[in-house]
Amino acid sequence: MQELESEIKNIIAEILEKDPEEIKPESRFIEDLGMDSMMALEILAAMEKKYKIAIPEEKLAALTNLNATLAIARECLAKKQNAHT
Amino acid sequence: MPILNIEEIFKILPQRFPFLMIDRVTELEPGKKIVALKNVSANDDFIKGHFPGNPIMPGALIIEAMAQAAIILFHSPDEPSSAKKPTYYLSSVKVRFLHPVLPGDQIEIVIEPVKVITQAAIVNAEARVKGQKVAGGEISFMAKEST
Repeated sequence: MQELESEIKNIIAEILEKDPEEIKPESRFIEDLGMDSMMALEILAAMEKKYKIAIPEEKLAALTNLNATLAIARECLAKKQNAHT
Repeated sequence: MPILNIEEIFKILPQRFPFLMIDRVTELEPGKKIVALKNVSANDDFIKGHFPGNPIMPGALIIEAMAQAAIILFHSPDEPSSAKKPTYYLSSVKVRFLHPVLPGDQIEIVIEPVKVITQAAIVNAEARVKGQKVAGGEISFMAKEST
């Protein structure tokens, strides 16, 4: 799980053009890190590609900080595993 | 046989001379895949200044051609051509250029979606000349209703 966190942190850091160190669990993507709606879409697409998951469009608005993003990734990964069993 | 000829392209794309970068659509699966052509000519307006004595199609305009093909890919076929067209904004471009494109070349542009939401999309774009890849990458754009 630690691995997932650091991978996702790196994805976010790359798209927001920040140092991974700056992405604290509670840092607000929009207010603190300068994310816009298209960057949010890019983060979502990058996670879909990396983990081969499908994240519904409604989740875009929930992409507010690292913790929330991790929760979405875990939820979609769990759904994917359930679909396979 | 073209799937969309230039008159039909005029109805979809808001761009006009000297900024219309698609001449024909040869394959179209709405929302899934498009193959479009741009014939590069010594008569193209941009060739005059890019560069005198060394004509090359600007890479930025290859991106423009990719973006225009993407607009056609996502337009809704049921929409009357008189409907107000949205304004399209590029938001991110990650494209690598591999070979120069010269007058006489026919660029074949292939666009396939990576992620699509209601008002925005990320697409995979590739440009080929005679089957050889000349540019490729990912572009993101959004559509906003014109005011």
